[in-house]
Amino acid sequence: MQFVIKRVVISAILLVATSVLIFAILRALPGDPVAARLGTAQGVNQAMIDRLRSSAGLDRPLVSQYFSWVTGMAHGNLGRSYFTDRPVSSMILSALGPTLELTVLGVALSILVAVPAAMAAARRPRGWLDRSITAIASAGMAFPPFVAGILLIIVFSITVHWFPARGFIPLTQDPVQNLRSMILPSISLAAGAAPLILRYLRSELVTALDSDYVRTAAGKGAPERRVMLRHALPNAALPSLTMIGLITGYTLGGSVVVEYVFGFSGLGALSVQAAFRRDYAVLQSVVLLISALFILVSLTVDLLGWWLDPRTRGHRG
Amino acid sequence: MAESGTISVATAARRRRVTLRIPPISVLLLLIIVLMCVFAPLVTPFGPNDVDPAHPFAAAGGQHWLGTDELGRDLLTRLLYGGRLSLTVCAGSVVIAFFIGTIWGVCAAERRGFVEEILMRTADVTMAIPQILFALVCVAAFGASLLSLTVITGLLLAPTSARMARSVTIQETSLDYYSAGIAYGAGKIRLLTREVFPNILPALAGQAVINAASAMILEASLSFVGLGVQPPQMSWGVLLQQGYGFLYNDPTYAVAPAVLILVTVFCLNLAANRLGSTRHRKVVRP
Repeated sequence: MQFVIKRVVISAILLVATSVLIFAILRALPGDPVAARLGTAQGVNQAMIDRLRSSAGLDRPLVSQYFSWVTGMAHGNLGRSYFTDRPVSSMILSALGPTLELTVLGVALSILVAVPAAMAAARRPRGWLDRSITAIASAGMAFPPFVAGILLIIVFSITVHWFPARGFIPLTQDPVQNLRSMILPSISLAAGAAPLILRYLRSELVTALDSDYVRTAAGKGAPERRVMLRHALPNAALPSLTMIGLITGYTLGGSVVVEYVFGFSGLGALSVQAAFRRDYAVLQSVVLLISALFILVSLTVDLLGWWLDPRTRGHRG
Repeated sequence: MAESGTISVATAARRRRVTLRIPPISVLLLLIIVLMCVFAPLVTPFGPNDVDPAHPFAAAGGQHWLGTDELGRDLLTRLLYGGRLSLTVCAGSVVIAFFIGTIWGVCAAERRGFVEEILMRTADVTMAIPQILFALVCVAAFGASLLSLTVITGLLLAPTSARMARSVTIQETSLDYYSAGIAYGAGKIRLLTREVFPNILPALAGQAVINAASAMILEASLSFVGLGVQPPQMSWGVLLQQGYGFLYNDPTYAVAPAVLILVTVFCLNLAANRLGSTRHRKVVRP
């Protein structure tokens, strides 16, 4: 139990520190987002700038700006965009769908590919299958998701017209088209993410298959399939669980540019747009939200690993 | 003979000689890419901004090895000149990450306790934000000049270097020669710079090569979405962005920079693996 409390507290501190860091960087230089928004508009006078600054709360001290951002967050009120004046919370809500779906599918696809491949590779370490799978994995790791996305569009949308190149169709509107539009982006993310799980799980499996309990199980006549699935995999998968947290971070980061490539209006596209416009109100909340998701997934995975492992469950550890 | 993980002096020497004689293909390829970018004017007869409006989107082959872009500019030439910026940002940020990360990590390893906690928890916080988003925040705050891009990328990669530096320094300072040095009355700074640093350098170099791959991807990502290198300056990310705009007219336009980024990142990963695998062999001294 001590472990759970400690992990939760650390995650909470991490989250607060992240919010301070994001806020501090965005306010580090004396740039003025209001001036940037008005830009070259005609007839701008100082009074107008002052009015906009005070309506956005930019004339207050930094510490009070920070606290109004954080306390507003608790009420679901993230302020308004400096640029469009729309509430940030509604902008984020409308962009959340594509990003969440993309992340979930990307992580799921990585696991679906990596686990069987790792088992196949670990059966005969240094055999031809192991060598080719490892080679493909290290090639996959070199694919930045957005580069993979562009190449996939060229092959599967332009050359053979199998999948749409751009655009997001909401799941509620047309599930089939939604999945079709999700296939290429998910593959782009999994190309880099799957090898990370694969390499880790493979080496854990090789160690597990080399251990005494596997030799005993095989000696008692258990079929190879059962030895792999019942004996080796659970023990090897447990430490690999942490990799899922890492993969989620990779996927969330990768989806920023992948969304841009495939024309999804998700959180990534929103953050790029906000960075362009120096719309700090939007940018700080989007980046914090994605970081919070990442921290939350890492925490969940850690706790899951703790709970699943009979050696630590219910103990202090 | 010795336990696993250790090899004899003779074997080690033989292996070292072999790796010295033939550099791995990945390193050779990287070298070719770098040299071609540096000596771009000698490789191609065109200038990066020489327009030829009569021949837009020319096919690969003939006078233009990779064809031309929408204004009839030679694509290979633009890739080579673009590579200069990509590689400069990459190298600059790796150097920054190396210096800051090493000092950061060694300080944390040397001053155990409170200072270490502060330093390493700071690293944790910066690593809780996905790199590309952190980069977006920094670019929004500090602008997207070439210098700020290099510094931002370098700072983003520093925490990973710091973690590596800390763990290898802790390992190294727990060895006998370090305590012997302390007992002998050697100064800590002197011991760290003269004795410990050369021993942890291979690990740090391996990390630096991995960082180079990350820096390449970060620069390309930022330039691709328009928040990195700004046209008319060009880098591989910028060229990829421009090619992406003409995906339906001329796919090779986007493929060429994409492949170049992939090959560079792949070679850097391979080189890092190689550095990593030779690093752990400990030589048994007679």
